Amino acid sequence: MCRHGVLRMPRTLYEQRRKFVKGRIAAIMASQGVGLFGPEPGIDPLAWYAGDPGADLYCASTPAVADAWRGFVAGLARQGGGQLGAAQTQIDRHVAELGIAFRLTGDEQERSWPLGPVPIVIGASEWRGIAAGLVQRAELLEAIVADIYGPQRLVREGHLPAAMVSGSPHFARRMVGLAPPRHHLQVLAIDLARGPTGEWRVLADRARFAVGVGYALENRLAVSRATGGALAEMGTRRQSDFFDALRSGIAADCQRSEPRVALLTPGRFSQSYPEQAYLARHLGFSLVEGRDLVVRDGRLFVRTIAGLKRIDALWRWINTHSIDPLNFDTRSRIGVPGLLSACESGQLAVANWMGGGVVESRAMSAFIPRLCRELRGEPLLLPNAATWWCGGPAERDHVLANLDDLVLSSSFRTPVALLPDGATRQGSSLSGEERDRLREAMSRRAMDYTAQEIIQVSTTPCLVGNRLEPRGFTLRAFLARDASGAWTVLPGGLGRISQSGELRTWLMGAGDLSADVCIVDPVAAAADQPSPRLTLSAPEEPPAIRRGAGLLPSQAADNLFWFGRYAERCQQTARAARTLLQCAGDLESDPAASGTVQRLSQMLYRWGAVSSPYGRALDIAAAALGDGTAGSSVASLEERMRSLALLLRDRLSRDSWRAISRPLAPFVPGNAESLIAAAEATIERGAAIQRLIADTLSRADAWRFLDVGLCLERASLIFQAVNALLPAEPSADDLGALLDLADAEALYIGRYMTRPFTAPAIDIVLLDPEQPRGAIFQTRRLVQHMEALPQLRHSGRADPPLRLARQLHARIEALEAEHVTHAVIDDLVDGLGGLSNAIGKRFFLQQDVLRRRGAEALLG
Amino acid sequence: MHYRTGVSDARLNLRLRPAAWPGQTVRDFTMVLDVPPTERTDGPGPYLSHVTTLRYDKRLTSLRIVTEFTADLAPLPVPQATPALDALRQLAGDQRTLGPLAPAAYLYGASMTPLDEVIGAWAAPDLLPDTPVLDAARALAARIHREFTYASGVTTSRTLPAEAFAAKAGVCQDFAHVLIVALRMHGIPAGYVSGYLRTLPPPGRPRLVGADAMHAWAAAWCGPDAGWIGIDPTNNSLARDDHIVLGVGRDYADVTPVNGVFVGGGKQSTDFRVDVVPVDEPAAEAVVPPTTARRTG
Repeated sequence: MCRHGVLRMPRTLYEQRRKFVKGRIAAIMASQGVGLFGPEPGIDPLAWYAGDPGADLYCASTPAVADAWRGFVAGLARQGGGQLGAAQTQIDRHVAELGIAFRLTGDEQERSWPLGPVPIVIGASEWRGIAAGLVQRAELLEAIVADIYGPQRLVREGHLPAAMVSGSPHFARRMVGLAPPRHHLQVLAIDLARGPTGEWRVLADRARFAVGVGYALENRLAVSRATGGALAEMGTRRQSDFFDALRSGIAADCQRSEPRVALLTPGRFSQSYPEQAYLARHLGFSLVEGRDLVVRDGRLFVRTIAGLKRIDALWRWINTHSIDPLNFDTRSRIGVPGLLSACESGQLAVANWMGGGVVESRAMSAFIPRLCRELRGEPLLLPNAATWWCGGPAERDHVLANLDDLVLSSSFRTPVALLPDGATRQGSSLSGEERDRLREAMSRRAMDYTAQEIIQVSTTPCLVGNRLEPRGFTLRAFLARDASGAWTVLPGGLGRISQSGELRTWLMGAGDLSADVCIVDPVAAAADQPSPRLTLSAPEEPPAIRRGAGLLPSQAADNLFWFGRYAERCQQTARAARTLLQCAGDLESDPAASGTVQRLSQMLYRWGAVSSPYGRALDIAAAALGDGTAGSSVASLEERMRSLALLLRDRLSRDSWRAISRPLAPFVPGNAESLIAAAEATIERGAAIQRLIADTLSRADAWRFLDVGLCLERASLIFQAVNALLPAEPSADDLGALLDLADAEALYIGRYMTRPFTAPAIDIVLLDPEQPRGAIFQTRRLVQHMEALPQLRHSGRADPPLRLARQLHARIEALEAEHVTHAVIDDLVDGLGGLSNAIGKRFFLQQDVLRRRGAEALLG
Repeated sequence: MHYRTGVSDARLNLRLRPAAWPGQTVRDFTMVLDVPPTERTDGPGPYLSHVTTLRYDKRLTSLRIVTEFTADLAPLPVPQATPALDALRQLAGDQRTLGPLAPAAYLYGASMTPLDEVIGAWAAPDLLPDTPVLDAARALAARIHREFTYASGVTTSRTLPAEAFAAKAGVCQDFAHVLIVALRMHGIPAGYVSGYLRTLPPPGRPRLVGADAMHAWAAAWCGPDAGWIGIDPTNNSLARDDHIVLGVGRDYADVTPVNGVFVGGGKQSTDFRVDVVPVDEPAAEAVVPPTTARRTG
C-alpha cells in the first residue's frame, strides 16, 4: 500500500479508487481480448504500486520527490503510448547504441548491459545527509590507510589488531614508509543499502578500483537519451562536475604543468575493460597496458610511435601486487618493472596509491565505528552493518552462539574452510556437521572469519513487464578528490536491483539489473531555477586551446594498422565472392567463363578465405563469407576486427563501434541471390566502417596507421589478384573479373568504350594514379603517410619505412602496362611485405619486449 | 649467471647480504660484481631482508656476483619451556606490532605458501591445544625428516607445498614450506629463513644436508619471550651455530636470493657455489666459490 498513490486522499477513498481502476482495466481486457496490464495514458502508473510504506524508497519519499517520481514514470508511459513496457525496449536500444557492455566471470564475449528505465530517485535533502556520511567515511579511510603505511599508531595503541591488517591480501608491506604525493585515496566507491526503516548503511568499501563509475555515467547517458528531457524536468543533478573533479584531482599531484595522465588497464580480458576504455575516452586519459610502459631513471614513459613519452600520473586498474614485478609479485605479466622507483623519486602520481586496498577487508567494518571516534573524535554518520571479527575471543564466542542470525564470511575474501570461494554464507544454512567443522577451524584460525548482521534492504519501483514492482536495491556511491584535495560525491551512483536477492558481490550478477540514480531538487525544478551544484569551488578557467590527438602508444598504432588491414581484406574477400557468384551465374550463357570461375576460386583459396578451391561456386562463395574455420573468411576476419576494435575502444566513435558490432548479414547457402546480397551488405558495411573511422579519428597519427594498413592490404591484394586472375592470354571474363574487384568496370567502359583488353585493364587497376582502388594510388599514400609520421633519426636520413615506400612507389611509377609480368608483380608483393615488416620494426612493440621474462627462473 | 643470447634492460634484486638476526653479527661484508651496473640501490626489503637492486642498460651475457662476510654466531639459549598452542594463539593476536618480524605478518597464506587443509590435517595429531609450541614444531620437523625423501629434481623453485607434500619429496625449500603451512594452519606464526650452512662438520659429526648450496629452513614464533626459533626440517635440528641467516620472509618469494626481470628469451644457466668455513669458534666465515649446486638445498 502506498502513501503517495493518491496524495492526501483518505485511505477508504483511495481503496475505492484502486478497486474502480482495477475493475476498469479488467473490463477493457475483457472487451478487447488482449493483455493490457498497464495504465492508460494520463493515468499514474505508480497508483498500482504495492511497495511497503516504510521499506520502499518511493513510498517513503517526501511528497515533492514522489511527485517527481510519478511525473517521470507517467512520462515513460506516455512515451510508450500507455505501454510502460515499451520503455524497456527503448532503453535497450540506447544501451546497444552506446555499446555498453560487460562480462561475467568466465564470459568469453561481452554481454550487453542490463539497465532498467526507471531510475532510483532520492531527494536532495536526504542525499545531503548521505553525502556528508560518505565524505566522513572517505576521510576516515584515508586516515586509516595513512596510519597503516605511516606511523602505525592504531596498531601500537591497540585500536586495530595487527592481524587485521596483515591478513589482507591487499596489505603491501613494501609500501610502508613510502608516502604518496598527497593522498593515499583519490577515488573511492562505497556500497550502500537502505534499510526497511529508512536508514542508510554502508555495505562495503571499494578502495582499490571504483568499479561501476563508468557504468553510472553510461546509465545516465542512456536514460537521458531514452527519455528526452524527463530527467531535467525532475531537477536531476548533473554528473559532469564530479568527473571534472576526478580528472583534475588525479592531475593535480603531478610535477609538470601540463601533465600526461594514463589509465593503466590489466587488458581486454579484465571484467571491467569496457568500462575502463570508456572512462579513458571520457576523461581524455591514454589507455595503456603494462607492456606499453617503461621506467627509465626514475621516470615512467609510454612507448609511442614517436619514441618514449613521459607519463606523470596513472589511474591504475591493476592490483598493487601485480603492478610491478620487481617490487611485488615477480610472476606478474601485466605490470611495469620498476614502476615503484618512479613513485619513490616523486616523479609519478598513482591513484589510488598502492596498498590502499587494505581497508577493503570485510573485517575492517568491525573497527570503523571505533576508529572514527579515535581518529576524528566524532561518531560515524553512516553506520555500517554490525560486524564481528572473530580474531577477538569475545567476538568469536558471540558469532558461534548466534550463527543463525548472522552472515558468515571470509574476513579477507580468501578461501577458508567452509567458504572455499572466499565469499559469504547465511549462518542459518550451516548443517550440524558444518558447524562442528567451523568450530574446529575457529579454534585454530578464528581470524579468518567475520560475521555480519543480516541486512534487510529497501525496495524501489522496478519495471517488470508492463508493471512497476518493488525490488530490493543497493547503491554504489562514488567519491573523488578535486584539485584541492577535497572530496566530491557523484550525485547519484550505480543502482543495482536484484532479482535474486544476492547483493553482496563485487560485480553485476546474471539476473541483476542496473538503474540510474537521480538526486533531485524538486523545489528548484519547480521554481525553474538551475539546480545548485554540489561542488562549491570557484568556476574553473577554460583550458588552454590544444590541438592534436595526444600521444599514440606503439601498441595502439599496431592495433590500428592491423585493423586497417583486416577491414580491407574483409571487404576485398566479399568482393571476390560476389564476382565469383556473378561469373558463375553467367556460365550458362557464357561457358568460356568457367576458367575465370576456377581462377577466382583458386584466388580465394590462396587468400585463405576457403579451405578448398574445388566445388560449386555457390559453396565456395558461401564458405568465403561464412566459414568460421577458414582463417581469412569474411566471418573470421570480422572476428579479428572485432577483437582489435575492443582494444581500440577508447579511440573509436560510437557510430564506428556500432557498425563494427553489427553481425554478418544472414544468407541462405546455395541461394545466389541471398549470397550476393550478403556480400554486398559486407562491402557496404566495410565502406561505412572505413569512412566512419576516417571521419572521426582526427587526421593525426592514429588515422595514418589505420590508413597505412588499409593501403598496404589493398595494394597487396590487387597485385595478387592480377597474378591469380590473368593467365598468359586472359579472356574478357578474366579481365572483367579483375576490373570488378578493383571497382573499375564503369571507369574502363567510360574510358575505352570497348571490351576489356589486357594492357588498358592493367593500367587502370595498377598504374592509373587517379583510380582510388588502384595500386599506385595506395603506394603514393603510403609515401605521404611515411613522410608525415615522426622520424627517429636526427641525421636527416629517412627511416627505413619511408625509404622502402619511396622505392616501391618509384618502381611502380616506372612500370608500363604492356610490360607487367607475373615476376614483376611477385617482386612488388614481396616489396610490400618488406615495407610492412619495416613499419612493424620501426613503430610497433618488438617481440622481445613482449617476451620480458621474470627471473625466478634464474634459480633453476 | 649466463645468458646464452644476452639480455637487455636487466633489473635484478639480490638478497645476499645477511639481515640483522638475534644471535648473529655480520662483519666485513663485500659484494663484487664483474660487470658494473648502470644503477644500484641498497636497502631493507619488505620483510627481514637486505635488498640490492641492480639495473643494466647494456646487454648482459654473464654476471658474476661474489659476496664475502664474517659472521659471529652466538646462538641464544634454547628456552626450557614455550607457551602451549592455545595460549600462543592468543599471545600472537595480542602483539601490537606490524614490524618485519611481527607474528601477525606470518599467520596467513602467501603466494608460495597458500593455506592447505590437507597439510593442516596431517599436522593435527602433533598440535594439541596444550602442546608447547616448540615441541610441536620440532615434532613436525621430525616427521618431515622421517616421512619425506630429500631429492633434487622432483620439485622446482616454483613448486607449491601441496605438490611437495603429495610427492613426500623435495629439497630444503619444500620442507620449509610444508612445515610453515602446517604451523600456520594451526594459528602458529611461521616464517621462511634463507641462509647458509657450514660446509664441513666439526670433527666427529656428519656433514649436513644442503651444506654445499644455499639453504632454507623455517622459524616458529614461540611467544614474546622466546621470540623466533629456527627449525631445520631437512636436518631435523634447530638452526643454531651451523646456520647463517640471510633473510626471513613469509616464504621463498619474499627472500629469493636473486630474481628480477629482463628482456630476451635465450637460455640461461646459473651456478651457485657456497663455502662456509669456521674461522675460529664460535665465528664462521662465508666465502663464495668452490662447491657447485644447481638450487638451494
